[in-house]
Amino acid sequence: MLVNLYLPIAEMSVNVLVLFSMGAGVGFLSGMFGVGGGFLMTPLLIFYNIPPAVAVATEANQIVASSFSGALAHLRRAAVDIKLGIMLLVGGIAGSAAGVVIFSALREAGQLDLIISILYVLFLGTIGTLMVIESLGAIRKARKAAASGEEVAPTALPTHRPWIANLPFKMRFERSQLYLSVIPVLVLGFLVGILASIMGVGGGFIMVPAMIYLLRVPTNVVIGTSLFQIMFVTMFTTVAQAATNQTVDIVLAFILMVGGVIGAQFGAHAGQKLKGEQLRALLGLIVLAVCLRMGWDLVTTPDELFSLGTGGH
Amino acid sequence: MIARLLTTLFLLFATTAMAQEEKPGIQIGLSQEVVEISSSFTGTEIIVFGSIENGIAEDLKAGLYDLVVVLEGPRELVTVRRRERKLGIWVNGTARDFIDVPSSYSVASTKPFSQITGAEDARILQIGLDNLSFQPVEGGSDDPLNAEFQASVKRLKTDKSLYLESPGGISFLTPSLFKARLAVPANVPIGQHTARAFMFHKGKFIESQFLPLTVKKIGFEQFTYDFAHEHGFWFGIICVIVAAFTGWLASVVFRKN
Repeated sequence: MLVNLYLPIAEMSVNVLVLFSMGAGVGFLSGMFGVGGGFLMTPLLIFYNIPPAVAVATEANQIVASSFSGALAHLRRAAVDIKLGIMLLVGGIAGSAAGVVIFSALREAGQLDLIISILYVLFLGTIGTLMVIESLGAIRKARKAAASGEEVAPTALPTHRPWIANLPFKMRFERSQLYLSVIPVLVLGFLVGILASIMGVGGGFIMVPAMIYLLRVPTNVVIGTSLFQIMFVTMFTTVAQAATNQTVDIVLAFILMVGGVIGAQFGAHAGQKLKGEQLRALLGLIVLAVCLRMGWDLVTTPDELFSLGTGGH
Repeated sequence: MIARLLTTLFLLFATTAMAQEEKPGIQIGLSQEVVEISSSFTGTEIIVFGSIENGIAEDLKAGLYDLVVVLEGPRELVTVRRRERKLGIWVNGTARDFIDVPSSYSVASTKPFSQITGAEDARILQIGLDNLSFQPVEGGSDDPLNAEFQASVKRLKTDKSLYLESPGGISFLTPSLFKARLAVPANVPIGQHTARAFMFHKGKFIESQFLPLTVKKIGFEQFTYDFAHEHGFWFGIICVIVAAFTGWLASVVFRKN
């Protein structure tokens, strides 16, 4: 049985079963929690000694597969605001292009691995902490309500968002029933596009909350629209990384894709058996664990202080 | 026919007779001229065969001839970076460039290097890891920082099994026929490698010979690597199509569940 495989772009021999399991494991979690999984997959690839530049670019390619199947499902149910998705995409492509340029510059300066690690620690730390706090609060509230026998009223969102409502260049988004300035939409798309290039993530974990809390997009179209945008941005990122940095490893991406789509199916079933707030608490803890591991590598004295690169500095 | 036989015999006698006058030297051959890397490649071994020509018979029997065989990968510019602590985080700080650094270096010999020849010869011929020196781009070779960085190149390459020393890795099949075994690791660099054999007699350097060895990817690995580097844009498009197809297939296969 073929277990060791030579990756043509990463130029290293890897264990197919390990990578497939990683793809399936992260796929399981993403199916269970309804997240893309890029923010877990990229650090795992780096822990497995895949060069960070290859890990990030290849992960963007894998996300094309997972977001494509997700976006198709939402399109069939007409749960996508295509007009809003296209505006997010315009910002996203500009952001992704900017990200690829930053990526190349950091790589040349020899600081790419460091910046990837720092960004991961910051994002994973913030999001993991918020998720754990929010879900613990929700669990406590549900317990209290169960004890007193009352129905829990969902926390109402504040209706006004004055600074966003006052911005110019307003546009009507019929599917979402929104009349909204394009500026925050483009900026959000742009920021998520940069993350796709530099961190190898879809950016759903930023986009979904931002669409709900800042743009007030109805929850029934949020996931579909976000997947629609992520799919095209990661497609663009894959091509841009392949053309600029030659760091997309198609063999690695394919192993992860197959593992990912299979794992996601089982994860989705498992997810239906757990309560929402318990799921969020669990995911928050996983995110914090990955964050701590990456942060630990940044602050502890490394065994080897020197590293080699080719091509000059 | 007879004339040709006579000529051959005559030439054979002539060369044997002249051999007494001729300088001693070596001839070498490789077990393979090409190392092919396929998807199942996990490293291999190259055997360098050779013979000592025109050696003094008594000295050959007494083992007074010594050999060193080096297999060296394509030379390249290498940047060494040192991590330094800044604001509590380890970041890449000071960097030094070296030119013409062998991407891989594997050396075998009949004895430990110090017993084969003097320190001066070993340094000039760059035999053994300790004697390998790289040309720094900035600062002289007496710059202590360069010495530290150069030592770290050797250490890092050794850790990745790219630099390897095997004293005693050469064995004699007859007093003049020898065989050197050199390991080729799984992460061997692609390109033109050189096998170089050095001959010593009683500690004195006599002659060296070299042969090229090509290391290349074949089949799917070769095609993918070349295509990705020469036509990056189209390679990206293919990656996207593969991903989209996989995603679509998954949504069709699992739709009923």
